[in-house]
Amino acid sequence: MFESAFCQIVFYIFALLAAGCALGVVISRNPVTSAMNMALCFGFVAAIFFGLGAQFLGIVQLIVYAGAILVLFLFVTMMLDIKAEEKPASRNCWLPSAPALGAVLIGTVFFGLVSNLSLALPGAQDSGCPAKALCSSIGELALSPTAAPAAEAPAAARFGGALPKLDPAAAARALKPGISPEEAAAATSYPDVKLLAQCLYTRYNIAFVILGFALLAGTVGATALARRIRKN
Amino acid sequence: MMQNLPWLFLLLPLLAAALDWVLFSKCSKTAATLSILSAAATLALCVAYLAGLNTGAPDVYTWMPVAEERLSLHLGLLTDPLAMRMMLVVTGIGLLVHIFSLGYMKGDTSNLSRYFAGLSIFMFSMSCIVLADNLAMTFIGWEMVGFSSYLLIGHWYHKASAADAAKKAFITNRVGDFGFLIGILLTLGVFGSMNFADMAGKAAGIPAALLTATVLCLFCGAVGKSAQFPLHVWLPDAMEGPTPVSALIHAATMVAAGVYMLVRLQIAMGHAAFTDTACAVIASVGAITAALAALIATQQDDIKRVLAYSTLSQLGYMVMAVGLLAGEAAMFHLYTHAWFKALLFLGAGAVIVCCHHEQNIWKMGGLAKRMPLTVLCFLMGTCALIAIPGFSGFFSKEAILDAALEHCPVFFWVGAGVAALTTFYMTRLCLVAFCGSARAHGAEQAHEAGASMLLPLLILAVMAIISGYGFIADALVPYAGFEAHGFAVGLPFYVSLGSLGLGLVAALLVYGCGKRSSDPLAGNALSAALRERLYIDEFYDKVLIGGVQAIIAHIIEFIDAAIIRGLCVQGSAWLTSRFGLLLSKLQGGSLRAYTFLSGLGLLVLIILLAFNF
Amino acid sequence: MIPLAHYLILSGLLFSIGLAGIIIRKNILVVFMCLELMLTAANISLVAFSRAQGTAGLPVYDVQILSLFVTGIAAAEVAIGLALIVALFRARKTVESTALNTLKD
Repeated sequence: MFESAFCQIVFYIFALLAAGCALGVVISRNPVTSAMNMALCFGFVAAIFFGLGAQFLGIVQLIVYAGAILVLFLFVTMMLDIKAEEKPASRNCWLPSAPALGAVLIGTVFFGLVSNLSLALPGAQDSGCPAKALCSSIGELALSPTAAPAAEAPAAARFGGALPKLDPAAAARALKPGISPEEAAAATSYPDVKLLAQCLYTRYNIAFVILGFALLAGTVGATALARRIRKN
Repeated sequence: MMQNLPWLFLLLPLLAAALDWVLFSKCSKTAATLSILSAAATLALCVAYLAGLNTGAPDVYTWMPVAEERLSLHLGLLTDPLAMRMMLVVTGIGLLVHIFSLGYMKGDTSNLSRYFAGLSIFMFSMSCIVLADNLAMTFIGWEMVGFSSYLLIGHWYHKASAADAAKKAFITNRVGDFGFLIGILLTLGVFGSMNFADMAGKAAGIPAALLTATVLCLFCGAVGKSAQFPLHVWLPDAMEGPTPVSALIHAATMVAAGVYMLVRLQIAMGHAAFTDTACAVIASVGAITAALAALIATQQDDIKRVLAYSTLSQLGYMVMAVGLLAGEAAMFHLYTHAWFKALLFLGAGAVIVCCHHEQNIWKMGGLAKRMPLTVLCFLMGTCALIAIPGFSGFFSKEAILDAALEHCPVFFWVGAGVAALTTFYMTRLCLVAFCGSARAHGAEQAHEAGASMLLPLLILAVMAIISGYGFIADALVPYAGFEAHGFAVGLPFYVSLGSLGLGLVAALLVYGCGKRSSDPLAGNALSAALRERLYIDEFYDKVLIGGVQAIIAHIIEFIDAAIIRGLCVQGSAWLTSRFGLLLSKLQGGSLRAYTFLSGLGLLVLIILLAFNF
Repeated sequence: MIPLAHYLILSGLLFSIGLAGIIIRKNILVVFMCLELMLTAANISLVAFSRAQGTAGLPVYDVQILSLFVTGIAAAEVAIGLALIVALFRARKTVESTALNTLKD
């Protein structure tokens, strides 16, 4: 109980911090400040990944974004010697409505989720109202690629209910198919990296290699673009 | 199968025209041969029918079926004596004109395939009028002859006067055709059918006023096509076309179509349908045309124009006869007139060609010595036209005068006066053109026409002499059961002899033996008026075209400029360009604007998907 | 426990902020950062879904791998994109998106 309450508190704190840092990226005049805010934001997001049990992704988030990408940004900012913007963007007919658009977008997301939450309450499900179809349509939209059968994850669990708990025993069974129930039950830690690696290097091996090529191409392309072209 | 043989009358010329136009447009000899063959084949077919060939009623083809049967458009053919004997005139003169054209158009640089295709189209359309078994089909043929006449008058379209004359003929005919179309619709309403066979005996139960209106509307068509006053102005101008065309279309057949149509209606509807009022109008129009045209003809210098006005005047005779309910006499005169007027035109054509396209009679002279055969043929035609006893024209004119005397003596005396004028202007023409000595270089070098021109002239000359006699007229005059009644030596005979003599003597006194080099009657106001065609054309130009039409043109111009151009065309263009400018604001090149818009699109997408709109 | 909805709300929030940043900012570097923010927002959604759809005590790792790929491609994109910005700056002496409006013509 304590653990779950702690987790909740940590999530909300990190979520607020991440959102705040994101705002900082947009608001700050100085690109360096923006970059720093972005790094912080990515750090908080990594923390949220940890909270979700996706340790590997959290680490990747830190290393790739907060490490590599941030450094790149800082380098470029330095290289170009960009001064802070003198004033906010010039008067443009679109600008006044931009925050409004963002607000409406956020409002829409909220409204959609809240309406789903209220619909997910017991009794709302089988009322036969069009809202039910609405609810399930969002579910289908969001989950279609690897959607588990609807029976296993009811709408309530998807949106309003708690996320399913991670089970070290199940992880042990997945890693070693022949393991005995006792041994599996004895497992205490959850080997996220192993499980992800098992999936990545089996099912998605080729895609992973192709991703490597894409990165290589990116490197070569970046070098070619950034090379100073000497005339004569 | 056999019963559909008459359709060949239509199909052969149409096929010839199509082939001439499409395949042989560069190969005028083949085109001419094809057209002549089709004309000869239709003539042979026609002769076969007149000789007694009977294939039964041809099939009726329903062109446009309409649920209500009487509104359906049928195409059917009549093979009764009226139609078939008329076909003989059409195909016979048609064939001769085709042959004559070979000689006349030799050395002409225009496209002869087009010319012969036009002739074949005309043969097709004229057959369509003659053989039609209902008014709708008549009307189709009616428009088609107008079209082919337009093509042929404007054959030398690079000549402005020819192009104008073609337009004038076409547009003037439109006026008459407008009335004709109304008349056809009235007939459909009043008689319940457009089919000639269904009209019989229905006139009795119809109010006289309605009948008068119907008949007069239909008469409008004849006024246009047969060039009656006041729509006569196009015919003299139509002489801009090649002379064989004038002979075929503007003398022998097409202009007679109006008379043919009226007689056909008179037979189909019965005399009862032609009320007294209608008859009076028709006869008066005919008489006025006859008198006016004969008067104007006396002061024309162009050989073709003299003949054109003479045609007008003779058509006036025929229309007058129709108005006097003497369809028989009208058709008789139509038939004899077709032969001798075709002869006169072809003769004039030969003269014109031989004088190097000189049409002014005052620049001819002495031709009798240089081209005696042609002139002899021409004289035969003249004799028939001025109704010298023994020639065909005498018998038919006598028939009309008889009918006029019987019904209404006024028309008789008008007819007699016109006969005297006819004699006068034809004698004048012959004296000036053929006697004396040559007054111009062209006439000096004139020589006899070639065989292809002489042969048709000779045949027509024979017909001009004999076609009026009973033994041949009874079989050939386009009227069922025609009988040439032996003329009695009575008042009409003496009067026509008198007018003949009067005209002859007057012309001889005035013009002598062709020694004069200019018209002694010219120079006074009357002559000027006659030369200016009594100012009728000018009146139309000034008042109708310059006045009424100009006002309408201004109104239409306003509609065109303000509403169509200003509002519809430029307005919509303005609106479109404004809208385009508005849209182009979207493409401002601003990255942020693009992002904003795509974000907006995303929002719309989310709302659409999430809330299942 | 934290419901899935709250993760999605966080994701939507980050995404919207990123979008707003792209629209508002004219420094193309910052615009680029906002782009990264939006990608991260998508990643949060993906990872949350991988948990929510998990069965028998395991998350759906296919989704996590998708998220991994997003990160990888983002890295390559940043490399290229920054190189482009450098080249652009050399050519035009500016990184302001308002100045880069030659697309219009």
